[in-house]
Amino acid sequence: MGGGRMQFRGDQMPKAITLPELEATNRSLAEEMLARVQAERQLRESKDLLSRIIQSAMDAIITLDEQQCIVLFNVAAETMFCRRAAEVIGNSVESLIPARFRGQHAGHIRTFAETGVTNRAMGKLGAIWGVRGNGEEFPIEASISQVESGGKRLFTVILRDISERQRAEVLFRQALESAPSGILMTDEHGRILLANTETERLFGYARGELTGQPVEALVPDRFREHHPDHRAAFRQCPSKRAMGQGRDLYGRRKDGTEFPVEIGLNPVQTTAGSQVLIAIVDITARRRAEQEKERYTDELKRSNAELEQFAYVASHDLQEPQRMVASYTEILAERYRGKLDANADKYIGYAVDGAQRMQRLIRDLLAYARVNSQAKPLQPTDTSAVVVTVIGGMHSTIASSKAEIVCGKLPMVMADEVQLGQVFQNLINNAIKFHSELPPRVEVSAEAKGGEWQFSVKDNGIGMEMENAERIFEMFQRLHDRQQYEGTGIGLAIAKRIVERHGGRIWCESVAGRGSTFHFTLPMTTSGDA
Amino acid sequence: MRVLLVEDNAADVDLTREGFSTSSVPVDLSVTMSGAEACDYIRKRGRHNSATTPDLILLDLNLPGIDGKAVLRELNQDAKLRRIPVTILTSSTADRDVAESYDIGANCYLVKPLDFKSFQVILRTVEKFWFDTVTLPKSLAKKDPR
Repeated sequence: MGGGRMQFRGDQMPKAITLPELEATNRSLAEEMLARVQAERQLRESKDLLSRIIQSAMDAIITLDEQQCIVLFNVAAETMFCRRAAEVIGNSVESLIPARFRGQHAGHIRTFAETGVTNRAMGKLGAIWGVRGNGEEFPIEASISQVESGGKRLFTVILRDISERQRAEVLFRQALESAPSGILMTDEHGRILLANTETERLFGYARGELTGQPVEALVPDRFREHHPDHRAAFRQCPSKRAMGQGRDLYGRRKDGTEFPVEIGLNPVQTTAGSQVLIAIVDITARRRAEQEKERYTDELKRSNAELEQFAYVASHDLQEPQRMVASYTEILAERYRGKLDANADKYIGYAVDGAQRMQRLIRDLLAYARVNSQAKPLQPTDTSAVVVTVIGGMHSTIASSKAEIVCGKLPMVMADEVQLGQVFQNLINNAIKFHSELPPRVEVSAEAKGGEWQFSVKDNGIGMEMENAERIFEMFQRLHDRQQYEGTGIGLAIAKRIVERHGGRIWCESVAGRGSTFHFTLPMTTSGDA
Repeated sequence: MRVLLVEDNAADVDLTREGFSTSSVPVDLSVTMSGAEACDYIRKRGRHNSATTPDLILLDLNLPGIDGKAVLRELNQDAKLRRIPVTILTSSTADRDVAESYDIGANCYLVKPLDFKSFQVILRTVEKFWFDTVTLPKSLAKKDPR
């Protein structure tokens, strides 16, 4: 050590030292002492800091000497391996390595030492595994570094337990592979980074064959040219959405054949750039089912139209011969009553009655067919005005039956005014016709219910058993005999057909002897609801 | 009054005869059972060369060969014949038939009723209107309405 330091030996003792010299020596000694203390303290502090850093690190830090013996084992290493530092320090690192890898490990470290490289990631030659104190093995991600200290070489390994990450990866892979859809991940250039088995199966590729391919390989030739433009557009505005809105999409198999698909796009931002997660569903079966349904619907529409046409033509053409039968039996009855025998009168009576009944049936059948054949477009209609007109037209019926009609506030609806009038006329007429011994009282009302208007026509008449409540809406269904109540039984069938044509439902609630309430619904108009 | 009935259905012809049989005005009913014959009649051709011009024509639309509308068109092409009032008497209720008939010169359109009583009522109305109420051109009218 330099400075003003003096060394004394007895034989060299100077004869005399002056006081100033002594004072200078003392000062210098004191300064030297202070510097040494400070240096020692700094060294201690720095060692302490290093130790605290090592001990508080999240990663396991293990230092080995050239003999592979552990010289440092931090807290994270204790936790990871379930071993105490005290029990492993000074012992071989082998106890931390699963038995099957032990032999190779020492060799790997020696090889590393020979490279002279300061540090590198471990596991280039295969996955690294550790073994805990309880014998449990776990996967590790590690890096190794080497330093020389005091002529000795030390190896420090920093390890991270990746069992959680590996579990997540396995879970991801399992989810990916068990997904019912084809799933692809592409990079920002549209190259396939990853494809699950379903994708390979859908497109007829072998395992792993798709990775690295441009995604255009899966696009039919005729769409391929524009596909990069679509990709670019998606990159401009990436959002989770279905691909090709409004377009029919097709996939191209390896053998060039095509199949209809539905594709969902999910942009994924990663450190490696913007990637796209693509889900592909083969909709061949659905498309076929849709076509089948469409065909079936068309057929049903056509057959319904034909049936309607048939009903119309049949009833219309039946009217002609029917007119003759009715007119001539009438003339016969008028001109020959009492001129033949009693049986002849009776038989003519039957013929007249039958002809008249047939006439009503034909007329009603025609009216039923006309619900659709003579339908007018639905227009905003004031239900109150319709009911007022209907009641006006029924003036004589109402007067003769002493009926009381009460009508609440009724809304505007989209309707064919004439047909809506027919519905109310039918219901009000029935309400009066099937009266009890009380004077008929009919209440017409409407309320908004579940997004539609529910109209009700309530009476205090004879009512009926609820088991008949559905049957009465069928064509020519009657609950009473003709002598008691007139009519062919078409009125409610027509009402039902009209209500259904307007997008509503009709039904009846009734108690025998206590009256009936007929309800029907009509969709609410978007504007002008009362 | 001379009435020409153009009707191919014998039952309807008889029904009309029956209807007019109780008329208050004597009706001289002539019948042609096809459109072609009707044209011959009004133009006094062939076996109808001695026919007299009718005061009213009751014309069915649905006729074999030349149909009622064709007869109506033929009548309207002739300056004299177009003065004869024509009443369509048909079972058709089609809007198109109604509109077209008026378009080509029908004076009124009647749908054959489904029973005899109503038929009689209609014929009475026709008689009352055409024979008693309206004023017809002199060359057609048998009696002076004044």
